[in-house]
Amino acid sequence: MTVFKAYMKIIKQNRGLIIMYLAIFMLITIMIQSVTKTQESDGYKAQSVKIGFVDEDGGALAKGLEEYLGKFHQIIPMEADKDELQENLFYRNIEYIVRIPSGFEKKSLQENEKVSVTKVPGSYTSFYVDQQINDFLNNVKTYYAAEYTVAEAVKAVMEKEGPEVKMLDTNGNAGEAPGYAYYYRFIPYLLLSILCYVLGNILSAFHKGDIPKRMQASAVSGRRQNMEALLAAMVLGIALLGICIVVSILLYGKPLVQSGGLMYYLLNSLTMLFVALSISYMVGLLTHNTSALNGIVNTISLGMCFLCGVFVPLDIMSKGVKTVAQFLPVYWYEKANDRISEFGNITGTVRIEILQAIGIQLVFAVAIVSISIVAVKKKRG
Amino acid sequence: MIQIENLVKRYGGLVALDHLNLNVKEGEIFGLLGPNGSGKTTAINCMLALLKYDKGIIKIFGEEMSPDNYDIKKQIGIVLQNVAVFDELTVYENIDYFCGLYVKDKKERRKLVEEAIQFVGLEEYTKMRPKKLSGGLLRRLNIACGIAHKPRLIILDEPTVAVDPQSRNRILEGIQKLNREGSTIIYTSHYMEEVEQICTRIAIMDHGRSIAVGTKEELKSMIKTGETVTIEAAVLDMEQLKNIRLLPHVFDVKYEEQVLTVRCTGGKHNLIRILNHLQEEGISFGRVFSELPTLNDVFLEITGKELRD
Repeated sequence: MTVFKAYMKIIKQNRGLIIMYLAIFMLITIMIQSVTKTQESDGYKAQSVKIGFVDEDGGALAKGLEEYLGKFHQIIPMEADKDELQENLFYRNIEYIVRIPSGFEKKSLQENEKVSVTKVPGSYTSFYVDQQINDFLNNVKTYYAAEYTVAEAVKAVMEKEGPEVKMLDTNGNAGEAPGYAYYYRFIPYLLLSILCYVLGNILSAFHKGDIPKRMQASAVSGRRQNMEALLAAMVLGIALLGICIVVSILLYGKPLVQSGGLMYYLLNSLTMLFVALSISYMVGLLTHNTSALNGIVNTISLGMCFLCGVFVPLDIMSKGVKTVAQFLPVYWYEKANDRISEFGNITGTVRIEILQAIGIQLVFAVAIVSISIVAVKKKRG
Repeated sequence: MIQIENLVKRYGGLVALDHLNLNVKEGEIFGLLGPNGSGKTTAINCMLALLKYDKGIIKIFGEEMSPDNYDIKKQIGIVLQNVAVFDELTVYENIDYFCGLYVKDKKERRKLVEEAIQFVGLEEYTKMRPKKLSGGLLRRLNIACGIAHKPRLIILDEPTVAVDPQSRNRILEGIQKLNREGSTIIYTSHYMEEVEQICTRIAIMDHGRSIAVGTKEELKSMIKTGETVTIEAAVLDMEQLKNIRLLPHVFDVKYEEQVLTVRCTGGKHNLIRILNHLQEEGISFGRVFSELPTLNDVFLEITGKELRD
C-alpha cells in the first residue's frame, strides 16, 4: 500500500486547508439558512391597510361594503374632497381610497358598475383589497339575483364564512424548506473545493517531472498504483462526506433523521461525491502547476455552484441560465435536492425524478473520468 | 546481462534509434556516451519499457523486457535525468516511498533506506523537504531513491547534470562503490571525462546508432591520433610549417594565433623530436603541452564533429 500511504501523507499535509474549508462551509450554510428563513417568513405576513372611505351614496350596499372591509382593514371615513384625499394618500395617512358615488347601488347591481378606487402605485397589499371588494360585490350580486333584498344579501355575505383553504404540506414543514435542505444544498461547493484542491495537488505531485517514469519503471503495476490512488481519494471523500452527514444530524437531529428524505439526501450527496472525485481527477491530471490549480479550482467550484443553484436557488434563476446549467452535474444534484426537500415522503413519480437526477450525475462522473483518461493518453502520445 | 538487437524507434519522421545494437555484461559499468539528441535517453526508456519501439529485441537477465515483466523490473534501479522526488515528502519519506515500490517488508525496508541515506551522505537532512536541499544534495537524494532497494542493474541517465564538482565526485565515487558491491551499471552522459573516469566499457552513440564500443583504451586505439602536441610559438612561416609536417609520426599541423598544434600517430618521443626540430630551426617557443587522445578525439575522428556540438 505504498502509493496509498503516500497519498495519505500528502492529504495529511493539507489538513489545515480541509479544516478551514469545513469551518467556512458550516458558517456560510448556517448564516444563509437563517437569512433566507427570515425573508420568507416576512413574505407571508398578513397586512392591514388604511382605507379612506368616501360614501356619497349612503345605501345598504355601500354601508355593507364599509363594514365588510372594516373586518380586515382600518376604515377612515372621508369627505369627497379631491385635494384632501390626494394629500392624505401622498403622506401615506391612507394607502387606498374607495369612493362610492351617488346611485352606485342601483348601477352596480343592474349595470355592473365598478367601485372607483385610488391606491398607492406598486403596493402589493392593495391587491388584497381589490380582491376583497370584488368578492363582496360578486357575492351580494349572487344573492340579489336569487331574489334577496340588498340588506338581506349584505347580511348573508357578512355572515358567510370564507372558505377554509388548507395548504398542501408536502414536506411536513408548513411549506417552508427544512433547515437541512439548505445544508445539503451547499455540499457540492464543499466537496468540489476540497477534493479538487487536495486531490489536484496530490495528482499534480505524482505527475511532476520524471516521477511518472519512475513509477512506471517500478515493480508495482500501474493498475495497482491506480487502485491505491483511488482508494485514498475515496477515503478522503467519504471522510469529508461522513463529517458533513454527522454534523447535519447533530445540527438538525430528529427532524432530519425521521424525515423520509434522509436516505435520498445521503444517496444524492454520495453521488455528488463521485462527481467531485471525477472532476478533481481531471483537474489533477491536466494541471501540474500549483498556482494554476488554485485558479482552476475556484473557477470550477464557484462557477458551477453559482450557475447550478447552490448559492442562488434554482426557482429564481432565469430559464436561460437553467438551460445552460443542465449541462453541469451540480444542477442535477440541486434538482434532486429540491425535490427531496419539497416532499417529506418520496414515492412514485417524485422518486423516479430524483433517481433520474442521481443517474445523470453518475453519467457525468463516468464521462468526466473517461474524457480525462483519453486526454492524458493523447498528451502522452 | 542486457542484449539489444536492431532496436529502432521513430518519432514520426525522426529516427531516434537506428538499428541500435548493444551488449552489456554483468559487473560492468557500461557508459553510453554521445551528444544531446544522440538517442541515449530514448535507448534507456526503451530498455525500461517506458517507450514502445518499432523494431528490435531487448533482453534483460536473459528475458525479453516488457511493461508487465515485474520480475525484471524488481531487479532494476533507475536514476533519471530530471530529479524525480516528491516536494511534499521529507528526504527519508521519499527514499522510503520509492524503496517501498520494490520492497514490501517494513523492517527490511527501514534497513535499506538507512543504508541508502548513509551511502549518499544525507544523514543530516533526513527530515528536510527537497525544496530546502541544494542542487547537489537533491541529485544525491535522486540517486538514493533509485538505488535503495539494492538492484542488480542500475541505470543512471545523466545523474550529474548541473551538479557542483564536489557532489559530482561523490556521485561518481558512489557509482563505482555500487559496482564493487555487485551492481551492474549503465551510465549515460555527454561528459566524456566522467565516462572515461568510471566506465569499464563505453558505447559512443550518434544519430541513434552505436558508432564504437569498447574499453577506453580500445576506443582510443581505433583512431589515428596518438598524441597532440600544442606549442605557443613565435611567428612561423609556411616553409617552417611544411618542415614540421615532414617529421616522423606527424600527420596534421595547425597554426592559428601563434599556437602550433601538431597531431601525431602513436609513436614514442614525439614531443622531444618536435622540440629538437624547433631548436635546430631557431624557432623560439613558449609554453608546451602534450595530450594523449580523449574520447572527444575518438568522436571527432569518427563523426567529424566535436562531442559537444
